[in-house]
Amino acid sequence: MNLKIDIVNYLKKYDLSFFGIVIIIFIIGILNLYSATHAANKVVLGAIYKKQLIMFGVAMGVGFLVSFIRPKNYFRFAYVLYGLNIFALILVLIMGNKALGAQRWLVLGPIRFQPSEMMKISVVLALARWYTKNNPHTETGLKELVVPGLIALFPAMLIIVEPDLGTGLIVLLVFLMIAFYRRLKWKTIIIVSIMAALAGGVMFEFGLKNYQKQRILTFLDDTADARGTGYNAIQSKIAIGSGQIFGKGYKKSSQASLNYLPENHTDFVFSIFNEEHGLLGSILLLALYGILFFRFLWLSTSVLRFFDSLLAIGLMSIFFFHTVVNMGMVMGLMPIVGLPLPLMSYGGSSLLTFGVCIGIATGLSNSRNFF
Amino acid sequence: MFGEDEIIRSHSSRAHALGNVILIAFAILLSRLWYLQIYKGPDLLEWSLKNRLRKEIVKAPRGMVFSRNGQLIVDNIPRFDAVLTPQYFKNKDNTLKNLSAILNMPVEKIKKRMLKKSTMASYKPIIIKKNISRKEVALIETENSDLHGVSVETFISREYRDKETGAHLLGYISEINKKQLPKYKKRDNKNYQLGDFIGQFGLEEQLDTTLRGQNGHEYVEVDALGRKKKHIKKDNLFAGIENKRSVPGLNVRLTIDRDMQLSGFKALEGKVGGAVAVSLKTGEILAMVSTPSFDPSQFSRGLSTEYWSSLVNNVDNPLRDRTIQEHYSPGSTFKMVTAVALLEEGLIDENTEIKCTGKFKLGRRNYHCWKKYGHGKVKLFKALRESCNIYFQKLSLKLDIDILAKYARMFGFGLKSGIKLPREVSGLFPTKEWKKKRNGIDWQLGETLSCAIGQSFVLASPLQMAMAYSVLGNGGTLYKPTLVKEVFSNSGEIIKRIEPVITKKIIISEKTQRLVKEGLYQVANHPKGTGWWRSIRKGLQLSGKTGTSQVKSASSSENLYEKCENKDYNDRHHGHFIGFGPKSDPQVAVAATIEHGCHGSSAALPIVTAIMSTYMKKYLPNMQKEFEILEKKVFAKEMAKRRKIKQRADEEKEQKKKLKEKTEEILEVI
Repeated sequence: MNLKIDIVNYLKKYDLSFFGIVIIIFIIGILNLYSATHAANKVVLGAIYKKQLIMFGVAMGVGFLVSFIRPKNYFRFAYVLYGLNIFALILVLIMGNKALGAQRWLVLGPIRFQPSEMMKISVVLALARWYTKNNPHTETGLKELVVPGLIALFPAMLIIVEPDLGTGLIVLLVFLMIAFYRRLKWKTIIIVSIMAALAGGVMFEFGLKNYQKQRILTFLDDTADARGTGYNAIQSKIAIGSGQIFGKGYKKSSQASLNYLPENHTDFVFSIFNEEHGLLGSILLLALYGILFFRFLWLSTSVLRFFDSLLAIGLMSIFFFHTVVNMGMVMGLMPIVGLPLPLMSYGGSSLLTFGVCIGIATGLSNSRNFF
Repeated sequence: MFGEDEIIRSHSSRAHALGNVILIAFAILLSRLWYLQIYKGPDLLEWSLKNRLRKEIVKAPRGMVFSRNGQLIVDNIPRFDAVLTPQYFKNKDNTLKNLSAILNMPVEKIKKRMLKKSTMASYKPIIIKKNISRKEVALIETENSDLHGVSVETFISREYRDKETGAHLLGYISEINKKQLPKYKKRDNKNYQLGDFIGQFGLEEQLDTTLRGQNGHEYVEVDALGRKKKHIKKDNLFAGIENKRSVPGLNVRLTIDRDMQLSGFKALEGKVGGAVAVSLKTGEILAMVSTPSFDPSQFSRGLSTEYWSSLVNNVDNPLRDRTIQEHYSPGSTFKMVTAVALLEEGLIDENTEIKCTGKFKLGRRNYHCWKKYGHGKVKLFKALRESCNIYFQKLSLKLDIDILAKYARMFGFGLKSGIKLPREVSGLFPTKEWKKKRNGIDWQLGETLSCAIGQSFVLASPLQMAMAYSVLGNGGTLYKPTLVKEVFSNSGEIIKRIEPVITKKIIISEKTQRLVKEGLYQVANHPKGTGWWRSIRKGLQLSGKTGTSQVKSASSSENLYEKCENKDYNDRHHGHFIGFGPKSDPQVAVAATIEHGCHGSSAALPIVTAIMSTYMKKYLPNMQKEFEILEKKVFAKEMAKRRKIKQRADEEKEQKKKLKEKTEEILEVI
């Protein structure tokens, strides 16, 4: 009897805010995806929005289930999950499936998955546990940067050699944000950033031989060229700019219909959105993302356990960096590294990751009522 | 859970700071959006409506290839393709009709081409017809207004001036195929794309990265119909996109002498075989030809299916390089090595005498000499010049196969020469260990006898044969054969100069060298020599050795002496000749192999003399003239002698006849 009351109570107080925001953004995203691909004369691309809908349903379902997991279990299994995920990453490197010239997929019977996607969450869990266990009362300095640094750097390197530069960078950025939240001294921040800049510069200038330098440059340049990114970046800027204040209107994107942006359903969805809805549309979209981020921030201050707080920051940073880096690159503020825009870009794996993140966050929020 | 509240509270300032980070990031994104959409908005709108930016690849011209004397062998010439860009393809039916009339190509075929590429981005041009004529180019350019989306693209095509001559050596370039793409990307750490041309054979393949330049690109502004307007104007929005100039590939000067190459190919034409000429003192390859051959220009122009099937269906396989990718039993040419081994091991001297009766028996097997009734008493010189099998076989009984193998390796047999060309075969010289490993059976003495005369397991490519004789000719240095003299840029700056590389130096005593060289000299300069008839009078002072290798082992002595020319083509022997000269100061070694040519002297020797004559006439003209007079004298003398012998024989016959008549008369009288 008690159990029944408990469940009813739980569901009554179920926090729907995360799912709510996410669904709103996704609806905008799916409409935009339809617009970006409806004109494509290709059968494959034409049906993409249907697949995306199904995947979103799956992601939300998984997220809903995840929301019932008690946060203390995350704490308990943080390192185990992290270890398993590292193992999966190494497995991918050894025998992974090749997609677009990179090894990212692991195939287990009918299931294909990308360990690098889940790694973002695993790293957050492992970092949160380590920081909870090691003097959470005090400020942190250089000393407390070493172990967490390694926790993030090792999988990041594994992901970068896949090669998936974008996801690898996300893992590192997530680590930096958590470290900052975990009261990293300002002095340390300044010292570390100066040292990093100097070391990088010196390494490049003197530590490398000329041909090595050239190789690095051509490598960077070549991967850029491989996807025709220089050209894509320009077309993306034209698309965004031509939208002006009000946009050209839904399904009126000329850049999309002419197929100028070969990846307009994945990395470049935001340019299409801008072209069609202009500056006003973008402000609305940014506001929605802003609400989501601040919801996470608020969660981090309202939970009862420090581990949960760190977790909330980590999950927020995953969303935040995906959003900012993707938008920055399509606007020509950053080099193109190939990252999806959360909930807007086509892709099942990333949707699933975001769904799980939302599920965890909702679980954290709900747990405040039942400790 | 004690005190967690305070911990979280102590982090709230950082949470606030993160909130500010989010706001700042959004502020930056919004200001960028404002810049693009409001400040630059009208400009960019115009771009998106009227003008398009197009990135065009500027192909780098491939490096040229020259002969050692600086004659151009491989050149680049422009080629034109008709292309259609789907993005600008309007007024479709009319355009297709016009295009099909100009290109003389059915509309259906054009549509098929387009359908095949329909998954590509619509701004990428589709090639409709390759290598169109200048007239077609002119028609397309003038009728531009009726051909929406059709344009002409220029490509640089590879032209091989001497067509089929040396095609295997030079190789060819063709479009990279899907299977090669990942492999080559990895090999060169370069982002090749379908449609890129790469060296696929011979030097083009080997020197691909040297000859290939770096493609550049250019951004051009095109109007709504896809016509180029002008080069893009400078605009800070497009800062960061810059035109990149193409860097032409490096040129290569080969060690190849074009005249020797041409004369070698001419001599080989119509036969199946290969010939290699190498400079004794440097290891530089002077000529390297193989027949039947192919025209490499066809590959870079886009191979027609007819030409391709004619190559593939030819039973003689024109795509096979018979100088390095094929090996043969060297036959009697290998006797040079056996002679050196016997002399160096002290088993014989020039006076060791063997009686050749045409055959000899070892165990249950009979070994035959090529001369049915034998050579009689044979010493070293005679054995070499008349190529007596029995002499070498009987003597090699004393020679361990592993010792012989040591000498064979000294001359480069059984080892890759290290020439910088793809897919060289290594040839073979057996040892006891090798046989045990391969067949699981111990070495048989009889096999040594076969190996001593270059049969059974022994295999060598014509290049290896030429290198082996060059070792004897230069007194003991085995060079690594080189093909490239220097690499230089278009401005004439020399980037790389290739110096001779010595693989190994071997020690052969002066006496052995003198004796074997004399024996080989007699092959071509002694009236009884196997190569005399076809080399004397040419003024080459040639030393060398003939050889034949059996394709099918003879089963009985009956068909052993069957005339080779009467056999089925595929059962005929391969003929070899390897020579070097001139005698006083050897400079060039030449090896030739003719498949199913029956004899070394009749089939292969003329190739060697043709190449050698070209060398002599070009580089040592005075010497050649002098030698020619000398050799003609020798020839005349020999002829006079033969005439005298014949005359005497006739006289004797006459006398006998008379005698017979007389006796008959007397008998009648009686």
